[in-house]
Amino acid sequence: MTVSTEVRNRTAGGIGESPVRPDGTFKVTGQFAYSSDLWMDGMLWGATLRSPHPRARITSIDVGPALKLAGVSAVLTHDDVPGEKVYGLEIADQPVLAFDEVRYQGEPVVIVAADHPETARRAAALVVVDYEVVEPVTDPREAVGHPDWKPVHDEPGERTAMSRDRAPVHPHGNIVRHQRIRFGDPDAVTADVVVQGDYEVGMQDQAFLGPESGLAVPADDGGVDLYVATQWLHVDRRQMSGALALPEEKIRLTLAGVGGAFGAREDLSMQVHACMLALRTGRPVKMVYSREESFFGHVHRHPALMRYEHGADRDGRLVYVRAHILLDGGAYTSSTPAVVGNASTLGVGPYDVPNVGMDCWGVYTNNPPCGAMRGFGAVQAAFGYESQMDKLAAAVGLSPVEIRTLNAVSEGSILPTGQRIDSPAPVAELMHRLDAMPLPGSVDQDIRLLPGGVSNTTHGEGVRRGVGYAVGIKNVGFSEGFDDYSTARVRIELVGDEPSVLVHTAAVEVGQGLVTVQAQIARSELGVERVTVAAADTQVGSGGSTSASRQTYVTGGAVRAGCAAVRSSLFERAAARYGPGEFRLVAGKVESLVDGVVGDIASLLLDGPVEHTVQWRHRPTQPLDEATGRGNAHVQWAFCAHRAVVDVDVELGLIRVVELACVQDVGKAMNPDAVLGQIHGGSAQGLGLAVMEEVQVVDGKLRNPSFTDYLMPTIMDMPPMRVEVLELADPHSPYGLRGVGEPPTISSTPAIVAAVRAASGVDLKRVPIRPEHLVAAALCH
Amino acid sequence: MQLHVNGRLHELALDNRTTLLDALREHLGLTGSKKGCDHGQCGACTVLVDGRRINSCLALAVTLDGVEIRTIEGLSDDGALHPVQQAFLDRDGFQCGYCTPGQICSAVGMLDEFDQGWPSAVTTGGQPAALDAGEVRERMSGNLCRCGAYMNIVPAILDVADAAAGRSSA
Amino acid sequence: MRPFQFVRADDAATAVQTVTANPKAKFLAGGTNLVDLMKLGVERPDLLVDLTRLPFDSVDVEADGTVRIGTNVRNSDLAAHPAVRNGLPLLSQALLAGASGQLRNMATVGGNLLQRTRCVYFQDVTKPCNKRQPGSGCPARQGDHRNLAILGASEACIATHPSDMAVALAALDARVAVSGPDGDRETPLAELHALPGEHPEQETTLRHGELITGIAVPPLAYAERSAYRKVRDRASYAFAVASVAAALDVEDGVVRDVRLAFGAVAPKPWRAHAAEDALRGRPATAASFRAAAEAELAAAEPLRDNAFKVPLITNVVVRTLSDLAGETS
Repeated sequence: MTVSTEVRNRTAGGIGESPVRPDGTFKVTGQFAYSSDLWMDGMLWGATLRSPHPRARITSIDVGPALKLAGVSAVLTHDDVPGEKVYGLEIADQPVLAFDEVRYQGEPVVIVAADHPETARRAAALVVVDYEVVEPVTDPREAVGHPDWKPVHDEPGERTAMSRDRAPVHPHGNIVRHQRIRFGDPDAVTADVVVQGDYEVGMQDQAFLGPESGLAVPADDGGVDLYVATQWLHVDRRQMSGALALPEEKIRLTLAGVGGAFGAREDLSMQVHACMLALRTGRPVKMVYSREESFFGHVHRHPALMRYEHGADRDGRLVYVRAHILLDGGAYTSSTPAVVGNASTLGVGPYDVPNVGMDCWGVYTNNPPCGAMRGFGAVQAAFGYESQMDKLAAAVGLSPVEIRTLNAVSEGSILPTGQRIDSPAPVAELMHRLDAMPLPGSVDQDIRLLPGGVSNTTHGEGVRRGVGYAVGIKNVGFSEGFDDYSTARVRIELVGDEPSVLVHTAAVEVGQGLVTVQAQIARSELGVERVTVAAADTQVGSGGSTSASRQTYVTGGAVRAGCAAVRSSLFERAAARYGPGEFRLVAGKVESLVDGVVGDIASLLLDGPVEHTVQWRHRPTQPLDEATGRGNAHVQWAFCAHRAVVDVDVELGLIRVVELACVQDVGKAMNPDAVLGQIHGGSAQGLGLAVMEEVQVVDGKLRNPSFTDYLMPTIMDMPPMRVEVLELADPHSPYGLRGVGEPPTISSTPAIVAAVRAASGVDLKRVPIRPEHLVAAALCH
Repeated sequence: MQLHVNGRLHELALDNRTTLLDALREHLGLTGSKKGCDHGQCGACTVLVDGRRINSCLALAVTLDGVEIRTIEGLSDDGALHPVQQAFLDRDGFQCGYCTPGQICSAVGMLDEFDQGWPSAVTTGGQPAALDAGEVRERMSGNLCRCGAYMNIVPAILDVADAAAGRSSA
Repeated sequence: MRPFQFVRADDAATAVQTVTANPKAKFLAGGTNLVDLMKLGVERPDLLVDLTRLPFDSVDVEADGTVRIGTNVRNSDLAAHPAVRNGLPLLSQALLAGASGQLRNMATVGGNLLQRTRCVYFQDVTKPCNKRQPGSGCPARQGDHRNLAILGASEACIATHPSDMAVALAALDARVAVSGPDGDRETPLAELHALPGEHPEQETTLRHGELITGIAVPPLAYAERSAYRKVRDRASYAFAVASVAAALDVEDGVVRDVRLAFGAVAPKPWRAHAAEDALRGRPATAASFRAAAEAELAAAEPLRDNAFKVPLITNVVVRTLSDLAGETS
């Protein structure tokens, strides 16, 4: 990778370096305690009875047979929910336990606590629920206005404190949000060259390996302590507070080890259930979902139906984009409003388009609820607009690189929302750099490198090489006027005789390396190498969500601000001790800018520790106008581009991704290893969406809730990568950094599909691609 | 029944239905082996039985008395990391870490299989002289990593193989 | 999982007696399929008889070249055995194409032959399935059948057999050694698995209590010119969408003899006799191979979502045989 790391400091393990993860040794020795590893004497096990129907009225629930089973301590229904019966991230419409009606297959109806997990499961199975099955709404097109459409919800959900201001609530309809973008004169404008296409994205699962789990412990004060794997402790607590009818201070959350998240832990799963059971029984209750249950227990990536029309002049310069994007949100709101916001505002991609007419709908159906998954909204749209850019390139005789560089946004560009890009936007450079990278050599009879890989299906016959390009745009942080902040408590004190820093935030480490980066920031800011990052919990203010590629930016900003406050206090002590002057802290020393080293940081701490807690916000954003989409909705954009090289066995329909090349601007590589990790991981998940991953839902029912039937990439499927990282500082962000986690997920999918199209000649309109899409098409040739 | 785990003998009264994975996690407090799917579809539960890697979620504990079981907790020696553990740490071969104990146990077993001359599906002709990236990928394909740390797992394992063979992998 | 008794068998006769005496008893070998299905509630035995310490764990090559494989030989050991790796490439390749390193270390020969279908309706006890619950119906014809059979199926069942190894053994005319209450017998592998007909619950011709003790692979002069090819939805660690095991004997450009079997397209490892008959004496060309595959597939009954398997398996046949013939199509 190309990283021009500016040497900012001499304190080892600071920003720009890649120190060993502080939790690394625990993770490689099996000692790191994930939420499913927790144990407490006398604890009970929880289990959940879920609806087998995508839609039904509940006519009765008989918990009697379950209660009679030996070892069962509690069997609870919606009647036992102490407080609000519904919860939700943006709009409270999801029942804690179903009442009156179930709206998706897998909706929780009854929870059980027993002395053994098998007993709890058996007890749940003994509960008798009478359902009156209702025909489900499963086609999102039907949901928005087909003559036969039926409402999924009869009553509106309640807005919560987290609701984006412009997230509309339709009291008696299926539309969660309809966002229009009207820029220029999209209705009247015409163009010399017009390309159209319909595109479809299947439902992807986050498929983290560590299923939903946690341990709830009743407390003496009538409250409850919950140890849980989540993405946002405080928003969990806020929703739990309503459902449990407990003040927030009586609900204490501590982060347990998180076995991957990728968006799926942004909504509640077992949090309220475990606490209800613990509070009812007075005993600790552990809940762990099975893999199958996990497929029902969290939201998925929204499936999308998209219709795009691009108009351009004869040179290929975009004149207009008209698009309809329909996102299936499933039964409950979850993050659908934000997904619609992203898909619509980013729906034309990182291109200058003078006229844009975009309509994006998020709708309710009786399919599984969909919500946050890495890159949400942007991932779906990018498959549409990048497919279109290739079509346009072909129509005007340009290469994929030329059409993209010709239309690329740059710093100063005006987006279709009217917002000006006020930081580097090196889209053309990303494409040029990709183009300049050497292409991998052709296959040389090494069957491992051929489609089918080890399947030994080809020795080179029928194999066609293809190359595809794509670039994506992603907003970083929470948009549309949301008050997005993080809190950091920073304390410096002597431990032994050495200065030691303790950083405490509620921000969630999910494997991305946040604890590492927090310590790096503290080292660089305070000149102290001994830094400990405390366990994330609710004993400190909110860190905001580990999502939207925001934690290094926002919690990193909070830690930096906390360190700055601590530093100011230390400088006051330094001035008192050494006389007035300007100081800095480096490698354990106090330096005067005039006199050089004047003393040890340790000596400033003889008077006692220094501690500050700060709240830090990124610059404010604005909501979008509902009718036009105008508004400075985003705080930052991140850009990433991929080139995919594939070999396609056109006779057997097999695809081998030979190489992925990636260029991403990260503003500042705070931890180069972690940046690469995010690029590798995001690219892998984009590859999965391109060629294999789909939660198959038919008539509202999941067909493949297992890892035999829901396939994700193995180490064999992941090709070598070439990665270049640019560091063009964003003047508005801490250290100039840009969010890293989501952008590589966005462009890898369309790049791979473009390469497969180039290799096979098949006009692929849907992801994931399956062998039959290619074999069937090959027959027609 | 008796289970020999990491050099220690445990006397256990187990329900016949108990898998090795559940015996380790719930009866012996060895939670390093992970339950990612419980159906042999992810590899997070991989342990070594008489030196061979298996999915502990599909092995009934009752079938395993008298054999030597080694888990992630038994790989490090008096605090010194096993070379594969050290290589995963050095190469940043993980993110969330949930698959990591299984990856590491699998790699330890796999390296031994290679030393015994076992072929893989990608082995063509005779036994390859040394593990290469293609061999590592195929042989490790029974361990899913959703974070996508695959790119770093391959060189981590090659580091160990090369060190054992007295080579340096630049 | 249902509670069950567990006994370890010390000799085959006792194992057979024990299972014969209890209609709800099952043999347990590697457990990779049975334990999985017990967790799903598909298998609900009262008693498990553990076979793994029985002495059926060797691979022996007899004087006439017959390879005898004990039922307890693990898939990984079998794939690595020199007699298989060098002498029966299609078998070694089929084994190594299956599952993962961990699962191959557990799975045995007998268990592999007797593994149950991956049909989602069979695996889900909340769904009807004629194989699991005779007479309950088969939703697969109208529902999810993308991975299911195009050959040999019936109105009652369109499940596929999931084994890779068995496909290679079918091509090799393997025989199965069986020990039962009435003594020992040997049956051709081709007669081990039954087609579903009206009784998909009867998957094999084994009677309850009969135990597979091993496999005999008779010598095949041209076995070294053989291959197993597998198409699947990802590069490794996935069941087949379609597969072909083939061995080819060509002289002067003419097919003297051929062995051909298909996997993942039928309820049993599908020996392609019609294709073989169509090919003997024909020029070893892609056109002949294609015609042979088409002859076999004339009987195919594809459904809405698995029709692609017809051209797919055809292409795999052409590809595999062309390669063995030393030419490319």
